Amino acid sequence: MSGFALSPDVRMNLERSVVLLVDDNAQALDVLASMFRGFGVHRQVKSSSAADAQQVVKSRELDLIVIDTAMPGMDGYDFVRWLRTEAPEGTRFTPVILLTGHAARATVEKSRDCGANFVISKPFTPPVLLQRIYWVAKDERQFVSCESYVGPDRRFKNLGPPAGKRGRRKDDLSGKVGAAKEPNMFQDEIDMLLKPSRVPL
Amino acid sequence: MSDPEFFKVKYKLTDQISREGGMTMALANERAGREMKALEGKSREAVAATIDALEAMAKARTAPMDAVYDLATQVLDIAGLYDQRLLCEATYALCELTDRLRSQNRVDWKAISVHVDALKLIWAAPPRAHAGMKSLVEGLWAIVEHMKDPDAA
Repeated sequence: MSGFALSPDVRMNLERSVVLLVDDNAQALDVLASMFRGFGVHRQVKSSSAADAQQVVKSRELDLIVIDTAMPGMDGYDFVRWLRTEAPEGTRFTPVILLTGHAARATVEKSRDCGANFVISKPFTPPVLLQRIYWVAKDERQFVSCESYVGPDRRFKNLGPPAGKRGRRKDDLSGKVGAAKEPNMFQDEIDMLLKPSRVPL
Repeated sequence: MSDPEFFKVKYKLTDQISREGGMTMALANERAGREMKALEGKSREAVAATIDALEAMAKARTAPMDAVYDLATQVLDIAGLYDQRLLCEATYALCELTDRLRSQNRVDWKAISVHVDALKLIWAAPPRAHAGMKSLVEGLWAIVEHMKDPDAA
């Protein structure tokens, strides 16, 4: 998987894909649907709440779910957690892209632990969403299932060049990490790293 | 506690995107832009109405912080799909402010009003003026940073 922008010449076929779009904001849902129409997705299912989306998940197979995080009642994080643990077998591992506006303090851990494939912070552009869809489709991470988490492995493996060998890129790190030189980070510090933060314009 | 299980999941999406046909990324993005443009008028109306509702809340000074936060996220919801960076940056500051206030059981309508006024200014300004308004957003963040949790010190 590459972290770089995809070539504009890369082809992608979403004509047969069934995509569930979930957002309580009707206008935002319409705009999101229009974006997917542009991507060539003919089979869209729109839901205005997580509860409605649960019914959709129970009644049909889906290829991708795109859901907003901030919704009254069950939010996007709780929906994904439900999907990964309680949904019917056939749909339990459907790939999910979460769309988030502001990461409220109470939701940082939920975001990390819900089991989504990717989180996209707003604002974003169609190329960013399309790239994430491609990444999801090419995602080779294994799924992990344990008491506290069900979802794609949260560790993106980047083994790097073998020890003692230089990588092709100047910032390649060796796969051999070696012994820790500094104390482990506290959970709060790790949580803050995961919290989307302000970026200078 | 049981050991974690690791297993491979095969997505149908993986096969679907590689089928013959489809379109290039460039074309897909261009088409998406066109589709979204058709809804831009309605989206602008929705953002304007939400900012107006925030202004009314800031004047009335009676709404709970949760309500202010929810309205601000609605602005982000729509403006964020149109890559309205400056407006989103200012709205994000308002979300952060109200999130901090509610988590501390505090209210600061003066700070909220300053944010809402900034949203109105940015919204009314043409995009070419946005470059000159970055300091406005910096000012909002200075207010947010000032809103430290008294228990954290």
